[in-house]
Amino acid sequence: RRMLCRAAGPPSTRQLREAEEAAPVFQYAGKAAKRSDRVFVWGFSFSGALGIPSFVKPDASWKKPRRIQTTPYRLETQEKISSAACGYGFTLLASNTRDITKVWGMGLNKDSQLGFQRSRRDQTKGYEYVLEPSPIPLPLEKPQQTRVLQVSCGRAHSLVLTDNEGVFTMGNNSYGQCGRKVVEDEIYSESHLIHQLKEFDSRVVQVVCGQDHSLFRTKKGTVYACGWGADGQTGLGHYNITSVPTKLHGDIAGVNIIQVSSYGDCCLAVSDEGDVFGWGNSEYLQLASVTETTQVNVPRHLPFKIGKVKEAACGGTGNMVLTEEGNVFVWGYGILGKGPNLIETAVPEMIPPSLFGWSDFSPDIRVAHVRCGLSQFAALTNKGELFVWGKNLRGCLGTGRMEDQYFPWRVTVPGEVVDVACGVDHMVSMVRSFT
Amino acid sequence: LNAAPGRPPRQRVRFLPAPAPGGGGALELVAARVPVLADHPLVLGPRFRKLKIGAGHRLDVKASGVFVLGIGHGNKLLTDLYNCHLTKVYTVGGLFGKATDDFSDTGNLIEKTTFDHITREKLERILAVIQGTNQKALLMYSNIDMKTQEAYELAVKGLIRPMGKSPPIITAVRCIQFALPEFQLEIHCLHETQQYLRKLVHEIGLELKSSAVCTQVRRIRDGVFTVDDALPRTQWNLQSIQEAIRNCQLKVETELEKTLG
Repeated sequence: RRMLCRAAGPPSTRQLREAEEAAPVFQYAGKAAKRSDRVFVWGFSFSGALGIPSFVKPDASWKKPRRIQTTPYRLETQEKISSAACGYGFTLLASNTRDITKVWGMGLNKDSQLGFQRSRRDQTKGYEYVLEPSPIPLPLEKPQQTRVLQVSCGRAHSLVLTDNEGVFTMGNNSYGQCGRKVVEDEIYSESHLIHQLKEFDSRVVQVVCGQDHSLFRTKKGTVYACGWGADGQTGLGHYNITSVPTKLHGDIAGVNIIQVSSYGDCCLAVSDEGDVFGWGNSEYLQLASVTETTQVNVPRHLPFKIGKVKEAACGGTGNMVLTEEGNVFVWGYGILGKGPNLIETAVPEMIPPSLFGWSDFSPDIRVAHVRCGLSQFAALTNKGELFVWGKNLRGCLGTGRMEDQYFPWRVTVPGEVVDVACGVDHMVSMVRSFT
Repeated sequence: LNAAPGRPPRQRVRFLPAPAPGGGGALELVAARVPVLADHPLVLGPRFRKLKIGAGHRLDVKASGVFVLGIGHGNKLLTDLYNCHLTKVYTVGGLFGKATDDFSDTGNLIEKTTFDHITREKLERILAVIQGTNQKALLMYSNIDMKTQEAYELAVKGLIRPMGKSPPIITAVRCIQFALPEFQLEIHCLHETQQYLRKLVHEIGLELKSSAVCTQVRRIRDGVFTVDDALPRTQWNLQSIQEAIRNCQLKVETELEKTLG
């Protein structure tokens, strides 16, 4: 009897191909998919500087407070953050938007370095610790037109740079670091005062906070300073306090400075021709190449023969520069990044590029930016990788371990790192996702 | 092999009785070099009846490329080469748009996705991050104390390698060809299996918000042996094998000395 149907055997090649072609196609990302911008934080969390309240006050009963976040953790932000700065136990995040809230702050607020944060429990008092990124109200004249370009944080004060309304300063002013006159016995906590600085010879393009002093760089290439000067870090020729931003002279008079950097009590400036100038504390041999004294109060040219310098970064005890060819040089005291044997040097030593991923296989890897924390160093390559080394204070290096790191070590961040800000015991990075 | 001239038989000195020179009758012992009878080919028989062949690092059925074999006494060198932990290089071909259950193009189809948003830049970014995480794994599994000066010096030269058991580690990845939907990667790795490489291709597809399957895995280098030293199927005869062994001998010896000391 002829069979009118046949049992189904294993699918033939033609059946497989037809099944494949008939399968539905899913689309996860279109052609115009944009890369999203994210913020990652890590380090010591009990000061609130990481901006994640569940680490300090867990919101579920099974969660335990997390004192140290050793690996990068995503921080949700409402806007794209263009600039971030880490101070001593607090963080400022700023966005380039034209909306009313442009700056958020979290962490320590005992000196109103994050402005006045009204407490929700008691409307007359302010918060001493801010656990979540909270908007900072700036007294802008045209809040919907001005943009915030950059923020910077020091030990207990912060500076906010806008594009056409000058610089706003808040926080501790006991040494005049906010640029206004020192008031005896002023109480800085829960203060509403935010000072505005406008009198510079041209538009300010970069603000830098040292531990208790502030540096302003203008478009013309001049540098102004105010604040504590006992180590000469104001560079004004004396060791006193300055409460009004004053122009610096010395070896940088007439030189077009393109970058300034400071975090502790030593300052470095880079000119457009690639020369490095330094002033301030030199107890850790930071400026020992020009002078034997431990404090330098006038900017001095540092005669290094390392090539044209592109960027400089100052830490608490060690300094780092990046040259045009992409080489990184370190000097000073502490864990400098060349193994446990190199503890201090007065002359810059180069860190071999093979430690940053350079090899015969990938010869076009270069270090693009350098940043310093108090005793940590960070370097960003042009491929978006972040390398850190230095003292691992309360897990701030982000390597996942608690030991100090004696040579550059990669931090695994799920994305391409665009910028990083280093603090004393925490770090914040701006990252773009891959796709 | 048995037809080739074998080793000359051993000789030994024996004292043989021979008639004394110049005086008849008395037998004297004279030293003479005589071949040992035990070494005579008729006594011993053919020299090679079986050959012991050992295999080097595994290569599975769907993959192709350099496959190292050891013959006879060479098997001992195989274990030494394994302990050297040298990297192997593969060319892996992939195809975007499909996802299958065994990560290769002959498996059952699970999903199809679009892939027109993928560019060479995005792929290279992902490869850079893969290299970075594997570099960290390399340093961690090498069991060297990070705080010592020697660790720093080895890291500078790039000689840190895990010298014991470790999960698969990729030391370098590079994109050789990129023509949507196909692409080819060159991967340098340690302690891996070919299925791990296929899974890697699948994960690259996932990371790029699409899917990928692996079409080809070909090993082009295994330690010191490259494709140029390897014998294709047409040359599997005695002469070429002997010549190949002779050519590689020097390389193998220098490498073993360098690594194991």
